[in-house]
Amino acid sequence: MSEMAGKLFSWVNSRLPIVNTFERHLSKHPVPSKVNFWYLFGALAAVTLIIQIVSGIWLIMPYSNTEEQAFSSIEYIMRDVDYGWVIRYIHTTGASLFFAVVYLHMFRGLLYGSYQKPKELVWIFGCTIYLAMMAEGFLGYVLPYGQMSYWGAQVIISLFGAIPYIGESLELWVRGDYYISGITVSRFFALHVVALPLVLIALVFLHLVALHEVGAGNPEGVDIEEYLDDDGVPLDSVPFFPYKVLNALVAIGVFMTVFSIIMFFFPEGGGYFIEMANFQEANPLVTPEHIAPVWYYAPFYTMLRAIPDPLGGLIVMAAAVAIFFIVPWLDRSKVASIRYKGIYSKIALTMFGVSFLTLGYLGTVGVTEIRKTMSVICTIIYFSYFLLMPIYTKYEITKEVPKRL
Amino acid sequence: MKINLNSPKYLVISLCIFISVFFVNNINSAEGGPCKDYGECDEFKYSLNDVESLQRGASTYINYCYGCHSLKYSRWNRVAEDLQIPEDIFFENLVFDKSIKPGDLMVGAMSEESVNWFGVAPPDLTLVSRYKGDDWIYSYLRAYYEDSSKQYGVNNLVYPGTAMPNVLLSLQGNQRLVCKDVPVIARNGGEKRDVSGNTIYQEKCGFLKVEDGTGKLSKEEFDDLIYDLTNFLVYVGEPIKATRERIGWYVVFYFLIFTALSSLLYREYHKDYNK
Repeated sequence: MSEMAGKLFSWVNSRLPIVNTFERHLSKHPVPSKVNFWYLFGALAAVTLIIQIVSGIWLIMPYSNTEEQAFSSIEYIMRDVDYGWVIRYIHTTGASLFFAVVYLHMFRGLLYGSYQKPKELVWIFGCTIYLAMMAEGFLGYVLPYGQMSYWGAQVIISLFGAIPYIGESLELWVRGDYYISGITVSRFFALHVVALPLVLIALVFLHLVALHEVGAGNPEGVDIEEYLDDDGVPLDSVPFFPYKVLNALVAIGVFMTVFSIIMFFFPEGGGYFIEMANFQEANPLVTPEHIAPVWYYAPFYTMLRAIPDPLGGLIVMAAAVAIFFIVPWLDRSKVASIRYKGIYSKIALTMFGVSFLTLGYLGTVGVTEIRKTMSVICTIIYFSYFLLMPIYTKYEITKEVPKRL
Repeated sequence: MKINLNSPKYLVISLCIFISVFFVNNINSAEGGPCKDYGECDEFKYSLNDVESLQRGASTYINYCYGCHSLKYSRWNRVAEDLQIPEDIFFENLVFDKSIKPGDLMVGAMSEESVNWFGVAPPDLTLVSRYKGDDWIYSYLRAYYEDSSKQYGVNNLVYPGTAMPNVLLSLQGNQRLVCKDVPVIARNGGEKRDVSGNTIYQEKCGFLKVEDGTGKLSKEEFDDLIYDLTNFLVYVGEPIKATRERIGWYVVFYFLIFTALSSLLYREYHKDYNK
């Protein structure tokens, strides 16, 4: 029997590179031997993507993408479908945690210079994934067709209207109707469940292929390829499988514990993960008292609101995301890791982190005069971090990076 | 000054600042609380394992509310089953329309004309506990007061200008807004006293008081009734809430064990190279 299996395996392997791929990308793929917890969020993001895809497939089955039934089909899932509530809460909790994990993953990139040569493409694919995720999250939020789905979509789609000349036609083209309707819901459904997931999977694949080509970084910013053993394997590395896989497994355990605490005990996340107003069916005649985006868009929404002119707001908001793409060329530092960068980089990154969180908070509350001023200040700090980067990274005094990990 | 961003310490500090700003801001935000003129909503603590409370709440709902407010995402037999009421008893006593089948949705008994009676169609209340919150419902139903300027002779502190008449008036009795002498609060938070040590009082208005003997229930009994009703609405807003919280413990426990075992395995393997 085992002989048969062996024969079958070698038959397949000579036609499909199973062993080669396994060795190249897992069992013999060298990764830095010393990394810290910041390096685990990538794996967690991959896990969350899988969770979202699987739970999403099961949600498609009972969901109805029509104007009349979208909202009630969600309640049908919550009440009449066996364990439908588990699937739905997995998907809503997963969406928020996906963003949380990706934000931490991106912050790790800024912290340890994970965008520096030769990792520019890894970084750019990553930024594109984030952009696709933002679109995916927005489209998905419209599908339950609650009040926030409707009015959130109203705000976001009307942004297209701010573009000169083509704005209005573009708005109409995106919506597919003169107002948000069942037509909008069904096209968003198609984009959310087919188009963007395909884009996301393709991008994640490219992100990983590019990463495996140039090798993973480490918190010291040491190039482990400099010191190789006789077989050409970096001395400061361990094979990805099983060492890093087991490391990720522990992280997954912790992550899933947090995930299940939220999902089973606080699925609404205090109104931040599922907004209360979204338990009311979409009503074009009644505007909710206070339209707030879900927390993961809040920082960008604040920037939009901080600028009085709609087109200006749109440009600033788009620039806030787009600027991530050019970070590899903004950083002129000789060193990668914050550990060896100078004091200015450290201050800049801290200010950036605080301003991002503050912008996020401001996006979830109503506008007052003082908050408006705060949002303008934080927007300026946010952009200064990037725009001043060529200056402060070039002229600050950096520390000597060790040769080995 | 030496800033060491290697440790997650700085992130934690930033987070703490952020969270504290968040809460301070929320306390000071003068956007008007959800309970409007009532002030802070009364806190409501649901008890979904108290089946008797849910049964009483369901009975109050069907007798006093269901005439106008449907529960259109909920099914009759599901309520009977979850509230542990035998189906025959449930249908005999609580389902008045005998053409209803057990698996039907609770779509209500209201005619289309209702819009003309109240100005607005009475909303479906299946999810009211989820978009208004249980604190709000519990406060709202107890905050009606006599106001002859309104169509139905009543107004509400929590929802000023509400279109709904006080359906439970006969049980609660006639509630009015009264004025009371209350101690003046000094800046330090204590009661203000005059030179001879007597508390200084000031007349304040806007307190709710039920006229004695006008209602069938005492204040406590009425509060209990509203508690049960709100509890039922929490249940109907998310029927699996109690199940969810029960299963949750097992899942969390499972992942804790998973984490413990995987970290043991991880340590074992890392002995290979972490010498």
